[in-house]
Amino acid sequence: MTRPGKDSRGPPGLSEVPLFSTLDAKELRVVAGLLHERRYEKGEVIFDQAEDSQALYVVISGQVLICRQGEPETGKVAEIGPGLAFGEPAILGGYRRSAQARAAQDCVLQTLSRSDFEGLVESHRAIALKVTLQIARQLARQLRQQTGVFSDLPL
Amino acid sequence: MSHGGDEAAPPEVGSASPLTWLATFAVTTLLLVSLQQALWLVVPFLLAIVLYYILLPAVRYVSRGGLSHEAAAAVVCGLFSVAAVLVLVPFSAWVVANSASGEVAFWKYVESGKGLIGRVLGEMESRFAFMAQWDLQNEFPRKAAELGQKFVQEHVTGALIKAAAWVPSLLLAPFLAFFFLRDGRRFVNRLIRAVPNAFFERTLHLVDKVDSMARSYFAGLLYLTLIDTVCLVIGLAALGIPGAFALALLAAVLGWIPIVGTIIGGIIVVLVTVAEGAASPATVYAVIALFLVVRMLDDFVFVPLTIGRSLEMHPLVSVLMLFIGGAVAGVLGLIIVLPLAGVVMIVVDCVAHILLDRRLMARYAFARRLRSMSANADLKA
Repeated sequence: MTRPGKDSRGPPGLSEVPLFSTLDAKELRVVAGLLHERRYEKGEVIFDQAEDSQALYVVISGQVLICRQGEPETGKVAEIGPGLAFGEPAILGGYRRSAQARAAQDCVLQTLSRSDFEGLVESHRAIALKVTLQIARQLARQLRQQTGVFSDLPL
Repeated sequence: MSHGGDEAAPPEVGSASPLTWLATFAVTTLLLVSLQQALWLVVPFLLAIVLYYILLPAVRYVSRGGLSHEAAAAVVCGLFSVAAVLVLVPFSAWVVANSASGEVAFWKYVESGKGLIGRVLGEMESRFAFMAQWDLQNEFPRKAAELGQKFVQEHVTGALIKAAAWVPSLLLAPFLAFFFLRDGRRFVNRLIRAVPNAFFERTLHLVDKVDSMARSYFAGLLYLTLIDTVCLVIGLAALGIPGAFALALLAAVLGWIPIVGTIIGGIIVVLVTVAEGAASPATVYAVIALFLVVRMLDDFVFVPLTIGRSLEMHPLVSVLMLFIGGAVAGVLGLIIVLPLAGVVMIVVDCVAHILLDRRLMARYAFARRLRSMSANADLKA
């Protein structure tokens, strides 16, 4: 079990998480000290659609299903595997969740809260900037993918 | 991936209901009653919280240089302790050296106050004939002396002994502040870890709200003290009152005691003004006017700018809370009751929202069932 703030290398594989991939070892240790570890059983709801958001999640092990509220079978939006993050906009502002997240398997997640991220902006601006840049890149990539989908539509 | 979090505006935990207020009253009163047994610990604890919010920006600033949070906390607290010793040691020596003359000065100020009130009453008796029959000019000093002696015997001596007993406990404040700065986040993280998954994000929100409230209240209180000190120094210096800075600082710090603090501060400054002899009646009135103006500036300009609406408490509720605080725990109750009630209100409000949120409770029950099933998976016959 990872002990935030104690493990000098940070959670296993944290450097491989795209969100934190631009951080050096020292910066990763700072981020590791802010993370909360949560364990979810298969089928457990992580957050509901339209719920207040307070944290982003990084999948350490297992799979997380992103789906429309209450439609895990038919309303699948995405499936998130180890190393990937979800719910990033939460740390940029107090947005409501746009979809439901459920544990598709037993999983271990690391979370970074908005208040801790705001503290990071005060104390370690370089880290906050790198993480924000990664979030912006991911959002841009996602937007480009969606634009691509729309461009194929016969409108 | 960036799924699951990009819609709509941030919601707030709803405005407090009457039931929340009742619960807040009850819990705050219970806490004050229980804290009475450990008031000696409340003072250093309160000071430690104030120090924590003063030093936290410095710790963050030092952290930017590459130090770990723990090392930065140690460096900042070390530097603060050295600075405190450099100030307090000469100050203590000065207090000891001047304690005899201080006692003389105290009685001089008391006599001056009695003289001032006697003169005012005499003037009123000469202007209003019906007052002459009461002979207040002569009666007041006699009664005041009797009551004053009784008050000193019954209360002041005991209060001074209690205050002296508290002094060693004040040394705890920097130690507590250091541990708050170094381990506070780790402690909160451990608490959050114990919270079930269903309530995790609500708990993050609760912790954030309590921290924001306490920071804006205590930091605001300090800024308010600074602003009041500057205003009073300027005013008192312009009026030619000796020791303007010390008096202004004392009055501003006394302002931490809601309602009565400003009045006590004003009375002390007026007594000193009268005792120094050089002051004319016009100067005394000007000093009183200065305090009234600063009080009004506090209420309408400075408090909204500093403490603001950090407590999100209706003024009527605040006043009721102050009465309860004063009645249950005296002066200390007056000082701590508002931030304490603010924290209790946030916690009560958040817990009420969780308990009344059927979806969250259902998710919690479902997660428990899943865990139970997972634990019993290989125990089926």
